[in-house]
Amino acid sequence: MADQTIRPRYVKVFLTFAQNSLIRDMTFRADFIFQCISSVAWTAMNVGFYLIIFRFTSMIGEDTGWMRDEFFLFLATVWFINSIVQAFFMPNMAEFSELIRTGGLDFALLKPIDTQFLISLRRIEWSALSNFFVGLLIAAFSLYSMATRPIDPIYPSVVSILLYVFFVLCGVAIMYSVMICLAATSVWLGRNQSLYDFWFYITNFSRYPMEIYNTPLGRPLLGFFIFVIPVLVVVNVPARILAQPLRPRADWEWPLALWAVMSTVIAFTISRWLFKKSLKSYRSASS
Amino acid sequence: MPIIDVRDLTKSYRVFRKREGLVESVRGLFRRQYTEIAAVRGINLQVEAGEFVAFLGPNGAGKTTTLKLLSGVINPSGGQATVMGYVPWERSNEYRRRFALVMGQKNQLWWDLPAQESYRLHQQIYGVQPDRFKARLDELTDLLDVTKLLGQPVRELSLGERMKMELIAALLHSPEVLFLDEPTIGLDVIAQHNIQKFLRFYQEKHKITILLTSHYMKDVAALCKRVVIVAGGLVQYDGSLAGIVDKFSGKKIVTLQFADGDEPSNLARLGTVLDTHWPKVKISIARTDVPRVLAETLRDYAIEDVSVEDPPLEDVIADLFHQVS
Repeated sequence: MADQTIRPRYVKVFLTFAQNSLIRDMTFRADFIFQCISSVAWTAMNVGFYLIIFRFTSMIGEDTGWMRDEFFLFLATVWFINSIVQAFFMPNMAEFSELIRTGGLDFALLKPIDTQFLISLRRIEWSALSNFFVGLLIAAFSLYSMATRPIDPIYPSVVSILLYVFFVLCGVAIMYSVMICLAATSVWLGRNQSLYDFWFYITNFSRYPMEIYNTPLGRPLLGFFIFVIPVLVVVNVPARILAQPLRPRADWEWPLALWAVMSTVIAFTISRWLFKKSLKSYRSASS
Repeated sequence: MPIIDVRDLTKSYRVFRKREGLVESVRGLFRRQYTEIAAVRGINLQVEAGEFVAFLGPNGAGKTTTLKLLSGVINPSGGQATVMGYVPWERSNEYRRRFALVMGQKNQLWWDLPAQESYRLHQQIYGVQPDRFKARLDELTDLLDVTKLLGQPVRELSLGERMKMELIAALLHSPEVLFLDEPTIGLDVIAQHNIQKFLRFYQEKHKITILLTSHYMKDVAALCKRVVIVAGGLVQYDGSLAGIVDKFSGKKIVTLQFADGDEPSNLARLGTVLDTHWPKVKISIARTDVPRVLAETLRDYAIEDVSVEDPPLEDVIADLFHQVS
């Protein structure tokens, strides 16, 4: 039979996943539109909230450089990363926990394709990408505003844009790894309904410039979320590269970027290892 | 060399023993008591290529667990198994391209999409060439008479139609070994019959090896020459369907039709009376006693008609399951 079959082509499989998800979303059109509207509305509320804050202050923290334009570029980065994670990985990770509990993982394990790939990208929530476009809008406005302001205008270089895209992808990979680790624990816990909650708590730490943790009480948190669960580098590193809040850049910014790359590799490796280990312990469910 | 070779396969689960009541539940948070449950205690089985073997056994006998072990879905606690030379739980892609598992209780098709979308996905995952895929799909949908349903969302199909769709999904990549776990569960007689007919035809045409579990004796009688009875996690019997009665039932069912007259008061002397519809009496008699009892009865009473039968297979198997558990 070997001559009649070819190796699975991962790109093609992924595109079919994407297509099937879209067909499914289109079947429930009203639900799709409602989800887009509600997530864009949530973003708009956030933007409004920060606009109000910037009516009372010109900078987040002292001498951090996070002024309005820079900060909104930071926010856009948050939306980019969150929308990618929510569109591609969130529904799958939540379902992974459920598959473990109900025994539905059986079918995934039968397929002649990498199980982690299959589990991670099966479903795509297209509506979550609406925030990606909102992120693009915010980024465009901030960049324009930064380039045209009378005092201290900045223009992003091509290199910084490329680095930005690269580090956004690193950030997505870190978030994905954290999610895989959380979801894989369902194998041993039997049930892990706290996945969403946990995710919400963790990402809440990543949503602000890291300088806000630079207080005696915040420093342990800063260390923990940079070095143990590296969610603080997720948004901060790419946002700093493009928004350049400190001019000239501080000495510690490049080592931090290097650490972002390293932590991406480490987090991904650990998550892959944990995923494989969890499959070994998988015990299926009744019939 | 057998295509499926299973030796001393065992699987046990550690389960948390939950006690009744709130106080005990709270105590369970701190001190958990676990018990080992042996689902499979040492299965030995050799199946040759092209065989159609039935797995029979009561609920919880270890049939499904065995199929899951052979599919590589779960890892065993001990023993060995190879299917087509592969160790299933190594989950190699080569192995996974060559077999399929169908579970009557679970569905793998996308619920909200037409089945054809799921099939296209299978084509890509299994890497089936487009022309070959089309030929396979045409053959299977034609055989199962579901061509018209391909474009309908799976959630709108009846249970019987869905099962057919699941079978197609499992067979699209031309597996050489097929594991079927209760494929006819919950189906009506006609749907059951259709699935049976299809399986028999398909197996004879493509000469694939099939391992089937089912609770319906009709499935088994219609499809399998070889029956393996599993109970208590062990193989209790391995042979022909007819052989089960010979091996496990020492009884015959004798039906006597008496000529008109009064019912004799001492019928119990002949054997266990199962049913009386005077003048017809059904008696279960030990097989070795049948000639003697019949001779005496014919001598002592006026008998119009006699029949001697094996007890129904279902009853024999039910008794057997009962004994083992």
